[in-house]
Amino acid sequence: MNDTTQQQVFEIIAKQAKTDVANVKPESTLKDLGVASLEAIELIFDIEEHFNINFPDQQGANFDSDTVQNLVDAVQKALADKVAADAGSN
Amino acid sequence: MQGLPLRRVAITGMGAISPLGVGAEALWQGLREGRSAIGPLRHPDAERLRVKVAAQVPDSFDPATNIDERTLPMLDRTSEFALHAAREAVAQSGLDFRQDQLGLRTAVIVGTGVGGETTQDEQSRRLYGENAARAHPLTIVRLMTNASASQISIAWGLRGPTFAVASACASANHAIIQAAQMIRWGLADAAITGGTEACLTYGALRAWEAMRVLADDTCRPFSVNRRGLVLGEGAGIFVLESMEHAQARGATILAELAGSGMTADATDIVMPSADGAAAAMRQALDDAGLAPQDVDYVNAHGTGTQANDVTETRAIRLAFGAHAERLAVSSTKSMHGHALGASGALELVAVIGALRDSVVPPTANLDQVDPACDLDYVPNVARPMPVRAALSNSFAFGGLNAVLALRRAP
Repeated sequence: MNDTTQQQVFEIIAKQAKTDVANVKPESTLKDLGVASLEAIELIFDIEEHFNINFPDQQGANFDSDTVQNLVDAVQKALADKVAADAGSN
Repeated sequence: MQGLPLRRVAITGMGAISPLGVGAEALWQGLREGRSAIGPLRHPDAERLRVKVAAQVPDSFDPATNIDERTLPMLDRTSEFALHAAREAVAQSGLDFRQDQLGLRTAVIVGTGVGGETTQDEQSRRLYGENAARAHPLTIVRLMTNASASQISIAWGLRGPTFAVASACASANHAIIQAAQMIRWGLADAAITGGTEACLTYGALRAWEAMRVLADDTCRPFSVNRRGLVLGEGAGIFVLESMEHAQARGATILAELAGSGMTADATDIVMPSADGAAAAMRQALDDAGLAPQDVDYVNAHGTGTQANDVTETRAIRLAFGAHAERLAVSSTKSMHGHALGASGALELVAVIGALRDSVVPPTANLDQVDPACDLDYVPNVARPMPVRAALSNSFAFGGLNAVLALRRAP
């Protein structure tokens, strides 16, 4: 499941960075991949739409989107929070 | 252009609708008291929105108190603000536009980032959300960007150059500069100008959320714990006239609009450039015949975003050199929020207040120094001090910079 999530995030990043998915590494920064400010915000939107999740606001201290691994972690956390919230509402 | 003596420009009237209340005086009093009008978002869809705070015009604002009932149905909220503020400004100026056919020589130039967003949002909701078969017949006249300028022109029979100026968050300053240039070059003897915005619609709030630049607590310009900008709304409208005209009729001159600077960064659509902003400030100083050391106060663009506040600090240092250390710099957006296309107009009320009352309004919510923001931002409490001249900065998405230079009334 985690691998699948990671793979999906990698593919979305590769598409935004207009690069082959093989070039996307966990330790790559968005800057390394040539994803600049506004593109990074677009990337976050693409990921949110894909997984139907909400990331915390980026200006806050609790959301680090510098590296690919940071983003994967944030997606996994948001997905886990969503499962917990759904369970809570049942 | 040699040999043409440029005319000086006086500001003789001002009006405002702002989150700090109805009237320029309410805005200025709030600012000098360091009172922030930022609070929990009041909106029918507030529950499902991620935006938590905004600076909103008080619900007690009633356009009907100052606008006749036949005009009201024509107006989007942006034009309600603008027309209301214009009435205040014209009353203060004491101008009679019928006298000597002044109306024929009066320009109306109003800035707005987007125009009638409330109308657009309501009609879209009807059409797409409720499958309505028709739009309201006044949709176009309400939402067109020039509606505010045109309504002001009609209200006083002003027949000079009349149009809207749109440059996102620099709209008001760009509009005021256009109006001042008309007077300087003799294309008009008087002008009504400023900016207006009513941008707190569901659609616009969603769009701002997605940009990830909104603070979730409050606006903390230049503070290391700043978390973004806080949206505001309102209008500031001014009466400008040639200094000669104002002095000849014995008008009370609020301030002299002494010069201006306009540049584009030509780099990034959102990331600001210190060079572009500094060039606009330098231009404004030169145009006004001011040396850096003549200026006591800079009303900063100061949005409270990570990028703006550091870049603007650098730009002020580039433009003012060593004198930057001696400047009082403040961001009043910490109190009236970011009213986008109206922000420069609300801030001009602050600058005029500073020049007239010798008090610099503070930067509210500045509680943790950012090492990258190392100027004197007048934290939290207004400062009594003489203000001979001031700059007012507006920088917009799109990389557009518009700076006003003001001098105390002669």
